[in-house]
Formats: sequence, structure tokens, C-alpha cells
Amino acid sequence: MQLILLTCGFILLTILVYFLMNVLYMKFHQPFLVPIITTTIVIIIILIVFNIPYDTYMIGGQWIDKLLGPAVVSLAIPLYKQRELLKQYIFPILTGVLVGCLTGMVTGVAFAKSLGFSKELALSLLPKSITTPIAMQISAQIGGIPALAAVFVIIAGITGVIFSHYFLTFFKLDSTLGRGIGLGVATHAIGTSKAIEYGEQEASLSSVAMTLSAIFGSLLGPVIAWIFY
Amino acid sequence: MNILIRLIQIVFLYGFYVAGSWLHDLLHIPLPGSIIGLLLLWGALSTKLLSLKWIETGGHSLLSVLPIFFIPATVAVMNYGHFFAGKGFLLIPITILSTFITMGIASFVSQRIAKQLDKRKESSKCN
Repeated sequence: MQLILLTCGFILLTILVYFLMNVLYMKFHQPFLVPIITTTIVIIIILIVFNIPYDTYMIGGQWIDKLLGPAVVSLAIPLYKQRELLKQYIFPILTGVLVGCLTGMVTGVAFAKSLGFSKELALSLLPKSITTPIAMQISAQIGGIPALAAVFVIIAGITGVIFSHYFLTFFKLDSTLGRGIGLGVATHAIGTSKAIEYGEQEASLSSVAMTLSAIFGSLLGPVIAWIFY
Repeated sequence: MNILIRLIQIVFLYGFYVAGSWLHDLLHIPLPGSIIGLLLLWGALSTKLLSLKWIETGGHSLLSVLPIFFIPATVAVMNYGHFFAGKGFLLIPITILSTFITMGIASFVSQRIAKQLDKRKESSKCN
């Protein structure tokens, strides 16, 4: 009985907070108010205030988490609908993703290493631009800490959601292709949720970039790790 | 009725995710089940094995609230606060800076090459 109550309670809490934060975002439309961030912060504050551990929250949260799988599968829809665009720009897409993916892995490790962080921490940072499950696999394979890698992935994603608009506009990288590829390569699925706001073309480019980046990352991640250590 | 159709379509999409996860376990493909599922669905649509209208409304309802599905994962950050105490705090600006550089370079490279492609097409049209 208590289990059902907790399950429904945490699901409803998540939906309610997300809904309210969405209303807030629609009203003010400031990038730092994107629901993924505000909802996360509000829920963490609620859990801390009521002294509820994360695992207890996940009794309900796991059911929302389970829908992430089919939601990612659904990204095949914009991908399919924009197939002409993707075919037309196949070469710039492939090159941009490959160069970006390498940059993401190399700069993360290089910064951490030059500031004297341990090998374990630097290698957990390596796959931060790649979608969570793959980033965790890569970090485990090269000697990082998978759970920590997941945290860096989230920080990278949130950076994209809050700042990408200002950043890409400032540097005049705000073409459809620039936005889609930049978000997908650097900020994976979390950034893709932002790309959807721009439109179907950006969403499809970002999904392609995220998928390709995951493939390149799992192949090249171990090589980069080997070069540094 | 509309809601029922959406639900059935979501169950169908879930099936692609399950199939993707199953292939991941069976063939040890270094991609997660959800991305393999995405590729499977994309393949099924491209080869016309599956019509877009069978899954479109369900898929759009999932994509319209995509951020909510990340919440359980992002809330987990609360368990790792101690890693970022003291010097570890520097790992956050490092991640942010590296993300900016990655985004900038990926955008720049793809945008620049695309512009050259477009220009070449324009000039070949003129000839």
C-alpha cells in the first residue's frame, strides 16, 4: 500500500512540478528557466527539505525514467521527415560531428589533467558530450567512474540548454545546421530537447549529431584515453 | 479514442526500445538500446515497412514533453555533491568551458562546409 502511495506520489510530484515550471518558462521565456533545470532544482530542494533519499524518490521516478527509451526512439520521426535535408548536408554533418566529438573528449581531459586532477577523474570527464548510457560505458571501459561520468554529461547538457542560444547567436553560428549540429554534438539528448524548440530541422540535425557522436565516441574514446595516459 | 490511439502508439514505440535493448545484449553492440531502437525505427520508416501515421501522434506526444523523461536522471546529481566540494568544484567550469568549445567548433565546421557546398551549387547553376 505504502509502495503504491510512494510510486504515485513521486510520479505526480514530478509531473506537477514540470507542468508548473513549463508554465513559468512559457510566460518569461528565459533560457535559464528551461523546465529541465528548474524542475530538477525544485525536486532536489523538496527531497532535501523533507529528508527523502534519491532512492526513495526513484520508487516513483523509475517509471518516468522508463519512458526515456521510447522517447529517444521517437527521435527517428524528425530524422525520417527531414531525410532530404540530411542527405543534402551529409558531408558537413559528418565532418562537424567528427571534429566536434574529438574536441569534446580532448579538451575535457586536457583541462582536467593540466589542473592536476587524478587520472580517474579526468577519464570520467572524457565522454561528457556523449549521451548518458554510452558515456557511462566508455568511462567504465577506460578506467573512469561511470556514475560521475553521468553527472558531467548532465552538466554539459544543461550548459547547452541554458547558454547555447546566447553563445551561438554571439558567434554567428545560428544557422539551422550550426544550431542542430552544435547542440547534438556538445550536449547530446538534453540539448536535443532544446533543439526541438527551434523546429523539426534542428531537432533532426541534433538527433543525427547525437547518434553519430555516440558511435564515434565509443570507437575513439579509448584511443584518446590511451594518448593521454 | 484519441488518447487510446496515442497510448497504443507509445506501446509500439516502447517495443522498438525493447527490441533495441535486446539486440544490444545479444550482439554486444556498443550503443544503448534506445539508440539502436531509434535506428531500427528509422530503418523501418525509410524502407516503408512502417507507415509514419502508425506512430506519429504517439511519438509527438512523447517528444513534446521530452525534458520530463530526463528528470529522474538529473535529480541523481544530488548524490554527488561531495565530489564538487573543494578543488573538485573546478570540474564544473572545466566541463562548461569544454562544452562551449565543442559546440563552437562543431557548429563552425559544419556551417562553413555547408556554405561552401551551397556556393559551389550556386555557381554550377550559373554555368
